[in-house]
Amino acid sequence: MRGMTGMEIDISGAFDPAGPDDDAQGQVPTERTAGATLLEVDDLAVEFRSDDGAVRAVDGLSYRVEAGRTLALVGESGCGKSVSSLAVMGLLPPTARVVRGSARYRGTDLLALSPAKHRAHAGTHVAMVFQDALAALNPVHTVGYQLTEALRARSGLSRREARRRAIELLDLVKVPNAAGRVDEYPHQFSGGMRQRVMIASALALDPDVLIADEPTTALDVTVQAQVLRLLAEIQAERQMGLVLITHDLGVVAGVADDVTVMYAGRAVEHAPVRDLYAAPAHPYTRALLRSVPRLDAGADGDRLPVVPGRPPVPGRVPSGCPFHPRCDMARDVCRTDVPPLADAAPERSSACFFAAELLGGARA
Amino acid sequence: MPENPATSDDAVLEVRDLAKSYPVRQGLVLKRTTGHVQAVDGVSLALRRGRTLGLVGESGSGKSTLARVLVGIEKPTRGQVLVDGEDVSTMSRGARRELRRNVQMVFQDPYTSLNPRMSVGEIVAEPYRIHPDAVPRTGRRKAVAELLALVGLDPDHVHRYPHQFSGGQRQRIGIARALAVKPRVLVCDEPVSALDVSVQGQVINLLEDLQDELGLSYLFIAHDLAVVQHIADEVAVMYLGRVVEEGDRPAVYKCAHHPYTRALLSAVPVPDPAARSAGTELLLEGDPPSPADPPSGCRFHTRCWLARRLAAEQGLAGDGPDDVPERCRTEDPVLVPLGRGDGARGAAVPHAAACHFAHRAAAFDGRPAAVVPEDAGPDVGPDIEPDIEPDAGLDAGLDADFDPEATLDPATGRAVLRPTRPDHVTETVPDPAVLESRER
Repeated sequence: MRGMTGMEIDISGAFDPAGPDDDAQGQVPTERTAGATLLEVDDLAVEFRSDDGAVRAVDGLSYRVEAGRTLALVGESGCGKSVSSLAVMGLLPPTARVVRGSARYRGTDLLALSPAKHRAHAGTHVAMVFQDALAALNPVHTVGYQLTEALRARSGLSRREARRRAIELLDLVKVPNAAGRVDEYPHQFSGGMRQRVMIASALALDPDVLIADEPTTALDVTVQAQVLRLLAEIQAERQMGLVLITHDLGVVAGVADDVTVMYAGRAVEHAPVRDLYAAPAHPYTRALLRSVPRLDAGADGDRLPVVPGRPPVPGRVPSGCPFHPRCDMARDVCRTDVPPLADAAPERSSACFFAAELLGGARA
Repeated sequence: MPENPATSDDAVLEVRDLAKSYPVRQGLVLKRTTGHVQAVDGVSLALRRGRTLGLVGESGSGKSTLARVLVGIEKPTRGQVLVDGEDVSTMSRGARRELRRNVQMVFQDPYTSLNPRMSVGEIVAEPYRIHPDAVPRTGRRKAVAELLALVGLDPDHVHRYPHQFSGGQRQRIGIARALAVKPRVLVCDEPVSALDVSVQGQVINLLEDLQDELGLSYLFIAHDLAVVQHIADEVAVMYLGRVVEEGDRPAVYKCAHHPYTRALLSAVPVPDPAARSAGTELLLEGDPPSPADPPSGCRFHTRCWLARRLAAEQGLAGDGPDDVPERCRTEDPVLVPLGRGDGARGAAVPHAAACHFAHRAAAFDGRPAAVVPEDAGPDVGPDIEPDIEPDAGLDAGLDADFDPEATLDPATGRAVLRPTRPDHVTETVPDPAVLESRER
């Protein structure tokens, strides 16, 4: 087992029938009680090898995914939100490695398993949807073939059975005329329909947790609304835990229950969605919220509020609080000391020395 | 002509009845033309001096094709492009090049639109190879340094390469390159959609500063209506190669008259969990149809929530894509001004929509529909409007033409822009065969 930290680990035994040696094909009960912890990532740190030495892409990230709830991982490019999910899935590129932390799925630390077991276990119970559906689908295989690849590999389904199941899955994600389209190729699908196929393929093994990495970023706004609604429906129906990785605070407001904001590889704020939007407890969150162009702001030609500077490049993270060069509240201590993620209010935490001030100011 | 900046609303760039189609060919050896994709089909727009025209639409709406025609990357199959009132196509090659200089482009993706093997200085100075007259040879080094400073980059970085810059900085390089030949119009094709949220604002604000400083006019193409709202003075909404609604920004945003515009506005995520209201969006079904085979009649009728609603009122089933008023299926609506109100406020662009039932779309507030004459289209004159019962919600829509602040329906106190979703709009599954054919 990799390094543990002081964080309290609360795995309810009732949902832990699968020990660390559980066979990947083992039938973990799919019973999901709303609120039960399914996946718990603790103090995760990931490094990339580079010419300049090891670059820390994720540094001490912790989050918890509960049945029937949606956690949004929010941040800008390079903040580590996607890398952390690849680590959980066992899909890190060869140049990257997990240097610390655990990812417990129903009690089993996925990161402590052998790479093959890790992928098998994660692939069965935790599924992932990627941003670019066209790149994620194989152009030379039919949609139906790809949808059931996992099923055939893991449960030895016959071809005919697999095809029937593929049609069911396409129906599930509301692809019209599923029976007719199952034998088509990805290029014959539109962007929105491809993303539905990706979701269907992620659902093939009835996972407990679905990690969706910018699932609607490449889509038109009207199609985005359709896909988000579909995800919400499926999640509610199956009581899945959903991790939504996004940079779009508009999308987050519409679907998330809890939000973890990431900056330079770390979680800088965690809060229930309403609290976060009502009163951010980290200056970065506040800056992000301000810089979202809003339709309802009546901003007739106003200048957009701007965060100065840009997100740090992994490997060149400033000393002290990584946000301090862009922060309008920064003081001396921020330049030297790294603020830990600490409780800021009930159910919420912030990695800012002045979180209380921020929250107090918002209430005043 | 050029030396007349006082009249700010004369068109510096104009297109008239512009069309661009691409042949669809089949066959590996003997290619036969089997059809045409009408990417842009009869668009007329005018960009006024010192103003920003926002062009909005989904993928496949033709907005990027239009941009490419405007800067001369593509030749139109029909229609005219006028720069300063002069038709570009009838000019001599030299004169055309000179005029083209005035219209430059900022591309969407700052990662692919900059040559990775050229230094920043070379990239920004490259347009001088085509327009050597823009800046004398000896002054170019200084001009490049000034351009970099103008867009907020360090002029000392002139020897660096694109990979040494972040996305936002690269977009600044792209803007500096576009400004190198002193254009008067920038065509910006999704200039911020590839950037991080916290950086988007910086680039938008930079564009606004440059506009004030240099008197530039922008054609700003984007799919993000919230961004367009910040920068545009006028807005045109495109669907399948056509402009379906245009007008001053407040008119379009606060009182959209085309059901497609209403749906687009409704689909923009609101960054406020308190505003989360299950299913109040006007959710459109499916994807935009293929421009190779646009639907008959009104091109939007296959996805139109209003058409289905009207069909239901008329006693049609209202639950299939073809269950729409006959007029929507058969008659192609033209872009017509929306009656009274326009001009009264000195609108630079008359608010216009291409919908047979535009006033119904504007008045829609989610309540059961009032009975309105079927032909109460955009051509309804002001004289008959007072006859319609105010409670029909129609006045709310029309009055908002006068008062752009009127976002609330006075009758219900409800926001006009976020109507309640009628069940039959979203809970219908369109005929699979139709959807399928659209996707191809």
